[in-house]
Amino acid sequence: MKRTLAILLASATFAAAQGNVSSEFQNAPQQPAQNPPQPLAPQPAPPQPAPAQQGPAGGQNGGGAANQGAQPNPNAGGSSFLGKDVPFFDPGSNIITWDGKSWNINNNALFEARFEKYLNAPPATSPPETEYQALLQQIMDKLSPGRITPRSTDEAFQLLARASRYQQDANLCDSIANQVYSAWLARKNNDRLNAASGALEDERKRLEWNARLTAEGTKLEGSGSGKSKDGAVNQQVQQQQQLSRELQMQPILTRLAEVTALIRANQLKREVAELQVKIEFQSLIVQHFLQRRFQHALIGTRFYRSIFADGDSQLRVGEDAKNLFSKTSGLPPTMGTIDSLANEILRDVHEGVQAFKFLLSKNELQSASKRLAETFMIGEYLPDVRTLDREDKRRALAFVQKSNQLISAIEVKDFSMAEKLVKEMSESARDFDVSKAMAAIETAKQISAMHIAKARNAAVSGDKETLEAELKAATEIWPRNPALTEVSQMIFSQADVQSRALVDFDQLLSQKNYRQILDDRMRFIAATSMYPEKQEQLRKVLEDMQVIETSIIQAQEIEKRGDYAGAWESAEKAFRNFPDDNKLNQVRANLTTKAADFVHAVRQAEELEQKDQPGSSLAWFLKAQSEYPASDFARQGVERLTKKILPDAS
Amino acid sequence: MLAAFIGSRFFGTATSDPFRTVSSLDVKTYLENANSLRGNVYKVEGEVVNSLAWSASKGRLVAIKVEKGDDVLPVLVTTNFNHINIQKGQRFIFLLEVDDKGILRTKDMTKS
Repeated sequence: MKRTLAILLASATFAAAQGNVSSEFQNAPQQPAQNPPQPLAPQPAPPQPAPAQQGPAGGQNGGGAANQGAQPNPNAGGSSFLGKDVPFFDPGSNIITWDGKSWNINNNALFEARFEKYLNAPPATSPPETEYQALLQQIMDKLSPGRITPRSTDEAFQLLARASRYQQDANLCDSIANQVYSAWLARKNNDRLNAASGALEDERKRLEWNARLTAEGTKLEGSGSGKSKDGAVNQQVQQQQQLSRELQMQPILTRLAEVTALIRANQLKREVAELQVKIEFQSLIVQHFLQRRFQHALIGTRFYRSIFADGDSQLRVGEDAKNLFSKTSGLPPTMGTIDSLANEILRDVHEGVQAFKFLLSKNELQSASKRLAETFMIGEYLPDVRTLDREDKRRALAFVQKSNQLISAIEVKDFSMAEKLVKEMSESARDFDVSKAMAAIETAKQISAMHIAKARNAAVSGDKETLEAELKAATEIWPRNPALTEVSQMIFSQADVQSRALVDFDQLLSQKNYRQILDDRMRFIAATSMYPEKQEQLRKVLEDMQVIETSIIQAQEIEKRGDYAGAWESAEKAFRNFPDDNKLNQVRANLTTKAADFVHAVRQAEELEQKDQPGSSLAWFLKAQSEYPASDFARQGVERLTKKILPDAS
Repeated sequence: MLAAFIGSRFFGTATSDPFRTVSSLDVKTYLENANSLRGNVYKVEGEVVNSLAWSASKGRLVAIKVEKGDDVLPVLVTTNFNHINIQKGQRFIFLLEVDDKGILRTKDMTKS
């Protein structure tokens, strides 16, 4: 029963929230509060069209004209009630499905807003609110089945006007009062119609009597004429008497037919008027029920029963509205169904509030909040819900707000915040189930960490494409991952270092400061890893520097042996290829002083060779050779100049 | 006795240096600037230390170690002296002309 109530009320809540409830009744015959005056006196007017062809109300198709009026327009393309279908609530998942969309009742903006507003509202325990509730209770007591009398009904009716003066009533009692008044007027009109019908009945009886007398009088006259001896005369007399009788009967029969038609017309008017009032009253009650104004729905049903005490309690509203009750509750759609459902809801809401208080006392905030949310959804306007203590509600509010924050944090993938909230909620609420949230958080964290690890590897290996893809994937999974920021900063700082190193490399290259490049080779190797052109430049520099270093080491080793000319020549060879290396220059300069004669001879020889003086140049090379017989410079110079002096020498 | 000694000395010298009237090459000047000596003829006495090259048309290029000092000079022994065997370690007195490239060309030579 509770589940049925939840389904029904969830549907009703959303219907009410959408403000589309009354649309169901748009096709129902609309009637102002004050019924227009009905024709009361028998009139020779043409008979009214009979609206109820199916017979009196109460049958299977007892809706009659009203029922036809409440049918959805077949050309409208289906039901217009709550969209295209009846809302469906799955209590297993707390999901409402309606018009192709799904909501969690605990997680939708509409409900959240209303619920939070309620949780922050003060308890409805002020004197006017208490008085209002007392009035409603008084009205219901006066209309309760065991106590209802015509007097108590009148008293209840008067209390409706008082109740409607309170703001929280929203004039609902006034609308009930109007409907009751309309029903009474209709009943009064029916009484007048009944009186008129009684007069017409008397008239009909009188006319029938007259007709019968006229017919009998004719028979008497006819029997007397039978004594005549002349048959022809008798026949003529009989014909005259027949004509006279027919002339006397004709107006009586005509009037009789008219009176009978008027009686029938009045009967139909009474039935239609009563049906219309019933439909209006039922519509109002259903509307209050769907608006979750269950106290007003109860008051309405009790007034209805007191006014229409004919035992006809079948609901005459549209098929969709009837289905709302019959398909969700499994009960036939009657006023009794509404009455029992409303009573059941009052009890259920009371139980829900008691459960909330108990769970709150046990510090089980998750369950308490859920129970209160469910109860609020059903009984938002009921006194049990409205009078809840604000501090108790605030405790639930704190948990609900954190729950909403947790949902939002998970939705926006802020798992740090989500984790923090889960921790706080598990500390504040003993029954908070952390498993689902933590599973989502941990899964996202792990996947994000995997992507970040891949991004790191890609960054190290210079795989830009993979780096971007992995960073993107990690960002999508957990946009506010602190590790992501760290990795990004690391990559960006790496990029900064890299770009600075590249600038330095270019600068040193332009300065031919290859030694500095050699000294910082690790930095430049890393920096040029993604630039093949620069890699090639760096490779050449390092190879050259290797040659220079080898030459220096070689020169120093030869110098250690005391062969200064040989050492100088080794350094000089490297110097001629790499004249800008300072270290080499320094070594060469030192050795120049130590092998001064040899160096002088070589330099003189080369200078004179350049001046195209092969004779003296050759003499100097020979001198150098005599200084250092193993000299490559001297040997090559001698060979070169010999060839020049004797080109055809063998 | 005295006459015999002076005579021997006079004839002895006359037979060992046929170019005694020619001035010796100033090796230092030659090494510093051979252009200033172009066209001049000098005599140089020295020991053959190396045969650098031989050309059938132009002759033999040898390196000689000048008697005075440690300088080594290249000398082109032209084809006119092909009949003379020139070997390493032999000592010669060369009559040399400094050509326009500073090359010392042999005009005459004799063993010392």
